Amino acid sequence: MSDDEKVEEVKIEEKQDQEKQDEVAASTTTEELLMPQDMLLSAGIHIGTRMKTGDMEQFIYRVRPDGLFVLDVEKTDKRIRAAAKFLARFESAKIAAAATRLYAVEPAKKFCEVTGATPILGRFIPGLLSNPLYPHRIETDVLIVSDPRADAQAVREASSVGIPVVALCSTDNEFAGVDLVIPTNNKGRRALAVIYWLLARQVLRERGELPKDQDPPLTINDFEAKVTREEEEET
Amino acid sequence: MSDKATTITLVTCTSCGKPIPPAAEATKFLCPNCGEIQIKRCGKCRKFGRPYKCPKCGFVGP
Repeated sequence: MSDDEKVEEVKIEEKQDQEKQDEVAASTTTEELLMPQDMLLSAGIHIGTRMKTGDMEQFIYRVRPDGLFVLDVEKTDKRIRAAAKFLARFESAKIAAAATRLYAVEPAKKFCEVTGATPILGRFIPGLLSNPLYPHRIETDVLIVSDPRADAQAVREASSVGIPVVALCSTDNEFAGVDLVIPTNNKGRRALAVIYWLLARQVLRERGELPKDQDPPLTINDFEAKVTREEEEET
Repeated sequence: MSDKATTITLVTCTSCGKPIPPAAEATKFLCPNCGEIQIKRCGKCRKFGRPYKCPKCGFVGP
């Protein structure tokens, strides 16, 4: 075989390799998301608010004509994966999930049920993390908050104690006191259910408690808050 | 009593690079992405939400 033929063969092999890599890249971009994009979009996890902070600008995809900022779903997906990896390194009982928002209470509760974390639901009692004299004090290694603004007290106490904070942030949130952000809609009922379900599933997968192709026993509907009109009026 | 002087080596903040004094409102955790490098953040960087970058995998947070 002459040198020219060898060079041509090498070139053809290189081309084939490149084509294969392109195919793999194309397939991973479509299969990359933890859940089909249609489902994520129908749940509204990408819907932000009409307000935008400088901190959250990096996660914003575009602005809708009605003025709503839209979040980048791929970045949300990547952050869920990173957060799940991060949370899986901690002992399950040492993870605390705080949820003050009404629609976040049920998803956070179910998340704790599935992963074995400690729930802090409803009003956050000051001193729950930082006051050593408080008898019901919780000693955690990491804190998850549904909204850094609504759960400001929890974030403040986590900062003073020195534990990392994972927060679900919408376009109007700031990064003060937060160590890992998951950009998502943190106000929608369905969006919160989907995010917490995805996070719980990914944490279980990272821990090796759930096979990569299986889902947890609870469905997204179980994670969704069921609030009656009377309860809404009360709050 | 020994005359040897004891020295304290302070850890530095991953965001600003300044030494973190003891008993500050700082935190340390393994990189969320690779889990191999320990990220340290001083109280001020946490308060202002300053970004940090993992020197190994390049993950930028928060």
